[in-house]
Amino acid sequence: MIEYMPRESPIHRLNPLAKMTWAFAVMILALIFNQIDYLLVILGTVLIVAVLAGIYREMLGVLKGLLMFAVFLVVLQVLFYRQGTVLFFLLPLDYLPVTREALLLGVAMSLRMMTVLLSFVVFLATTQFKDMVVALTDKLKLPYDYVFMFMTALRFVPVFLNEIVKVREAQAARGCQVDGHHPIVKVKAYTQVAVPLVLISLRKAEGLAIAMETRGYGSNQRTYFKEQPITRIDRVVMMAIGLFVVAGVIIRLQGFGMI
Amino acid sequence: MKAHSVIKVEDLVYSYGDHRVLKNVNLTVHAGEFVAIIGENGAGKSTLTRHFNGLLKPLSGRVVVGGEETKHCKVSQLARHVGYVFQNPDHQLFHNTVEKEVAFGVKNLGLSTQTIQDRVAEALQAVGLDEYRDSYPYDLSKGQRQRVALAAVLAMRPEVIVLDEPTTGQDYREMMQIMEMIQVLNQKGHTIIFITHDMALVAEFAKRVIVLCEGKILQDDSVEAVFTCPDFLKQSFLELPSITQLGNGLSHPEISAPFLTVDEAYNTLKPLLGGEAID
Amino acid sequence: MNVYEIENLSFRYGPSKAGVLAGIDLSIEKGEFIGITGPTGAGKSTFLKCLNGIIPHFQGGILEGNVLLNHNSIMEKRMIDIAHCVGSVFDDPESQIVSLDVEQELVFALENIGLDQQTMEERVTEALQMTGISHLRHSKTAALSGGQKQRVAIAASLALKPQVLVLDEPTSELDPSGTKAVFEVLNQLNRELGMTIIVATQKTDFLARYASRILIFNQGKIVLEGKPQAVFAQQEMLKCLGVRVPQVAELAYRLQKNVREIPLTVAEGLNYIQRCL
Repeated sequence: MIEYMPRESPIHRLNPLAKMTWAFAVMILALIFNQIDYLLVILGTVLIVAVLAGIYREMLGVLKGLLMFAVFLVVLQVLFYRQGTVLFFLLPLDYLPVTREALLLGVAMSLRMMTVLLSFVVFLATTQFKDMVVALTDKLKLPYDYVFMFMTALRFVPVFLNEIVKVREAQAARGCQVDGHHPIVKVKAYTQVAVPLVLISLRKAEGLAIAMETRGYGSNQRTYFKEQPITRIDRVVMMAIGLFVVAGVIIRLQGFGMI
Repeated sequence: MKAHSVIKVEDLVYSYGDHRVLKNVNLTVHAGEFVAIIGENGAGKSTLTRHFNGLLKPLSGRVVVGGEETKHCKVSQLARHVGYVFQNPDHQLFHNTVEKEVAFGVKNLGLSTQTIQDRVAEALQAVGLDEYRDSYPYDLSKGQRQRVALAAVLAMRPEVIVLDEPTTGQDYREMMQIMEMIQVLNQKGHTIIFITHDMALVAEFAKRVIVLCEGKILQDDSVEAVFTCPDFLKQSFLELPSITQLGNGLSHPEISAPFLTVDEAYNTLKPLLGGEAID
Repeated sequence: MNVYEIENLSFRYGPSKAGVLAGIDLSIEKGEFIGITGPTGAGKSTFLKCLNGIIPHFQGGILEGNVLLNHNSIMEKRMIDIAHCVGSVFDDPESQIVSLDVEQELVFALENIGLDQQTMEERVTEALQMTGISHLRHSKTAALSGGQKQRVAIAASLALKPQVLVLDEPTSELDPSGTKAVFEVLNQLNRELGMTIIVATQKTDFLARYASRILIFNQGKIVLEGKPQAVFAQQEMLKCLGVRVPQVAELAYRLQKNVREIPLTVAEGLNYIQRCL
């Protein structure tokens, strides 16, 4: 799970909105270019932000995990993209040609994917969820109900994972095979786990609704405990990011950065 | 002659991630025993008992159940030897009648339809739920649902029955009903291992107590022996039943053994107080 | 001064359903510590839901009679107004916690009712202090033990500064040390702040120690009520109802049927027996 990592860093202190802007800017830039050196520069800036936030080591871990995915993307490109200069064949008798373009495109796609995902991970790791809620509802004026729903869903993920483990254990202890490979066994095993889980979830949901009700939810006069103001630094950062994006778009329109 | 051993644990070590939950646990449970496992939350009680039916496999050390090492057995195989009643029955109920629920485990054993029916009927009778056979399990009270879970285990006729906090969230009557049922099962020859926080139940029903503390066995002895050593219990953050505390607090030459139940206290004190007590 | 006045309260969950509450009359004074016990299905939870307004505002049914909270009918109050007077805590520590961290959990209700930040800060600090969990302020709720979660739930309702706390089996999922911690907090709130506490539990040992009045429910009625000493002297009846009697009280009763002050705790028991020996 990607979690908040508490640190004392300038990145952590930024307003969630500034960080959100940054993550979206990275996404736009990564999507408009597909030349490897350009993408490497963008990925580099994301890593610099991670260093500033003091979460460099953890992010390298994430990057390692994403690498598996990246290799997979390259392989896919190689298998399905057949145009351009053939470098070599994967199988004898000239089967499965590998082209230069396929390789370049594959690597570019992987870099793109890694850059975009990593920037969002950095955003989530440096931003507390409650600050995000305030930013989304108070500053961006998204309806609180939806944001709250999302937050509670997140809160209940570990609870339900735990319940699933318990239900599976309970079924396994009764001598039924929960881990069979046969499709019928699998479907059966799913109902055994799903039925108790649904019933337990309904009960938990009712409990939650009652708890919210007794604590004044939905009274339409909501305030926020921690309002993070948008500081001058936040404004400067957001403006700078905006300029970078504009510059990127101009460079791209001039025809640079594309294979 | 001592009964044969049904569960043997040797140098058992187990961790969740970096957290070492069981540190070198050794114990043997013999056929026909009635064992209580006590200790604070997080002491490793459930982690230990989950090794008895193979839900967990040792990180190092061995667990031998019915003569076979659990490492090499499937949970479904071990289920014939060790029945497990979980703390919350709702994790296992998914049929629309009590009868089907109880039959579910037995059906996995590959028996004839007639045998299955007989066993289900017998199990429902043993837990006093025969009149509820067609009820929807979720319409029953928590205590009754716990008994459905117990019946489901009973129908499989395991040698050993493990119960993880079988009385949590029930009223006193339901609590006593389930404990008395377990006692009858023990008299019929089942080996019983139960986890509980209720020291009064331990004193009244168990014969042997295992005190776990931070993943180690602090004490493993008869109830009388454990309950006369309050220091050990204090170390494991447990409190004796109040009647035992009362007995241990009285200094009288006639009172030597600890009081385990109100009955025992009454029988000891009555003659001492004579016919007429002062008030 | 009476916080609650309950007049001939009856309730059914539906027209074809059996009655859950059957004519309850009761007054609860400010500063009382009321312990409620009785067998499963006696109507304890339903009764508590009538006190904190979940019935009729959240769960429907057929309600007769009246529940007056500070002399006003609970039916006519809005849920939010009831929430200002009555804090509620439930049995499942998991499902009543809304937020990812403790501080956020405490401010949840305060944000809902629209307080300013200064007041919120004061209330959060105070509620954490009263429940003895100031050190947990920045912890994640998922990482807490059951006893800690229940104290967070109590603190979260205290933040609204209620007059009354209504708790339905708050310790049923807890181990002995968690149970003890929760009851000690309740006792302190009652003693030091004069808060009215109404708690339903099967753990009668704790009621014997802390409650100022015990109500025994059976089949939707209050069948026995009074001070712990008086209630636990009615042992024939309690046995019939299946209510657990504290061991010391049971022993004393069996030794001497008409004991004047029945001992309830170990200390009282020792005192009593040593006097007799």
